[in-house]
Amino acid sequence: MSAKPKTRGNSKTSLSARQHLLAWLALHRECAQDALRRLWQQPASSAMTLAVIAIALLLPALLYVTGKNLSQFDDSLAQANLVTAYLQSDTDDTTVAGLRQRLSAHEQVSNTRFISSDQAAADFAEWSGLGDVVDALAENPLPASLVIQLADTRYETARQIEALLSDEPAVAFVQMDQLWLQRLDSFLSLTRRAVLALIAVLSLAVLFITGNSIRTSIASREAEIRVMNLIGATRAFIARPFLYTGLWYGLLGGALAWLMLAVLMLMLSGPAEALLAYYGNQYQLQGLGAAASVVLLGGSAALGWLGARLSVSRHFTRF
Amino acid sequence: MIRFDDVSKRYPGGHEALKQVSFELEKGEMAFLTGRSGAGKSTLLKLIMLTEDLNQGQILVSGRNINRLPARQVPFYRRRIGVVFQDHQLLFDRSVFDNVMLPLQIEGYDKHEAARRVRAALDKVGLLAREKLNPVTLSGGEQQRVGIARAVVNRPQILLADEPTGNLDPELAAEIMVLFEQFNQVGVCMLIASHDLSLITRLKHRMLTLEQGRLIKDEHQPSRTGTSP
Repeated sequence: MSAKPKTRGNSKTSLSARQHLLAWLALHRECAQDALRRLWQQPASSAMTLAVIAIALLLPALLYVTGKNLSQFDDSLAQANLVTAYLQSDTDDTTVAGLRQRLSAHEQVSNTRFISSDQAAADFAEWSGLGDVVDALAENPLPASLVIQLADTRYETARQIEALLSDEPAVAFVQMDQLWLQRLDSFLSLTRRAVLALIAVLSLAVLFITGNSIRTSIASREAEIRVMNLIGATRAFIARPFLYTGLWYGLLGGALAWLMLAVLMLMLSGPAEALLAYYGNQYQLQGLGAAASVVLLGGSAALGWLGARLSVSRHFTRF
Repeated sequence: MIRFDDVSKRYPGGHEALKQVSFELEKGEMAFLTGRSGAGKSTLLKLIMLTEDLNQGQILVSGRNINRLPARQVPFYRRRIGVVFQDHQLLFDRSVFDNVMLPLQIEGYDKHEAARRVRAALDKVGLLAREKLNPVTLSGGEQQRVGIARAVVNRPQILLADEPTGNLDPELAAEIMVLFEQFNQVGVCMLIASHDLSLITRLKHRMLTLEQGRLIKDEHQPSRTGTSP
């Protein structure tokens, strides 16, 4: 008895720390590869799980991209800071000139532009492609307007100008981009909230999906777990393959969601670009972007791992 | 090496599997644990492997009270004990080689060193030529020998066996026992549960006899012919 443990002890300590680290890394690599191989060996059930995870992740990603594209308008409109005053139809040129003069004198107005009723009709015809309809009308229904560029983008400034304009008898109606902007703003913050809420709810869904898949794979490998436990494997060692499986589920599910989103964007890009062309070339259909892609993949991998961990801690108690 | 002090085990439901069992196995000693089915043999081994908890008394292994071992140290304790099961507990999703490799994998051995040891263990049980096969294709006796190779591959100080010959014909059973004696000769402390009296009485080793949970006989020099004192 005395000889055996001594040689055993020696051979163990003769392994250097570096060798131990290398062996440990090799073990992790093998574990990750093995977990991937096992997913591959059951293509039908793996694909189902991945598809469900991907769809769960696709929803918040899609909403995020929608919000991102809308906020482009928000940003550029904030720069525009325009107020449009629609004039009464019987307004003559002198009144317009007087009004423009009074407005230009105001320190918070940087520029005014007059759009005659004919010009408006021509613009509309070109814009909408409904030139024939406009021609068919006996009378031009579009009013003349003044587009007033403000000196700054503050909401109060716009309000001041609006008050000034509403006292003018020649002005029929004032439209402020700022108001519209405010609505867009609140809509966008609503979208952001919705994205966060969706992320929270659907993260839970991803957690449960992976957790459930890991539960089945634990059940199918019960014999192995029992033997490992009997011959002295630590819980961490036994759990490792399952954690890697969860990690793969998350990562591959995230990648699939990313791919689905990319395909969707590709399908939308044609019509979207045609639409955006009306607004000039300052807008572009935006995708997820690098940072958000990293968040999507990293987050989904972490969720998969966590789902596996929860499942392991719940179902390993039997062994 | 292994010491039982007044150990009792009662299963939930009231069945008393072991009643005040005391004995001691020395380093390098080989002993048989015998008795009818249900006498408490398996329970006694499970207590040593810490897959069951005792209700009373204490068990010392290498001088340490194993019942006070913190849960996180239990795996490391189990690595020092090789166990051979009646149903061998092999994994049929991998080769013979990989089955024997398992304990070394768990300990994080270097691959080449591990492979060398696995081959040495398989050679010892005479199955080196079968390393690439799936254990499901082997005979019962061969499967049991793979189980033994796995139990000894990390050179444990203690080897436990629970009815290792239970499913084997007498000839194969005798071969298995010869293997066990060889391991004992290189210093491994062995405790083998078996109800195959005709086989174990032929081998001159210590014999512990359980009856309804009590240790009723502890024969250090059993005769070759019978069990009666």
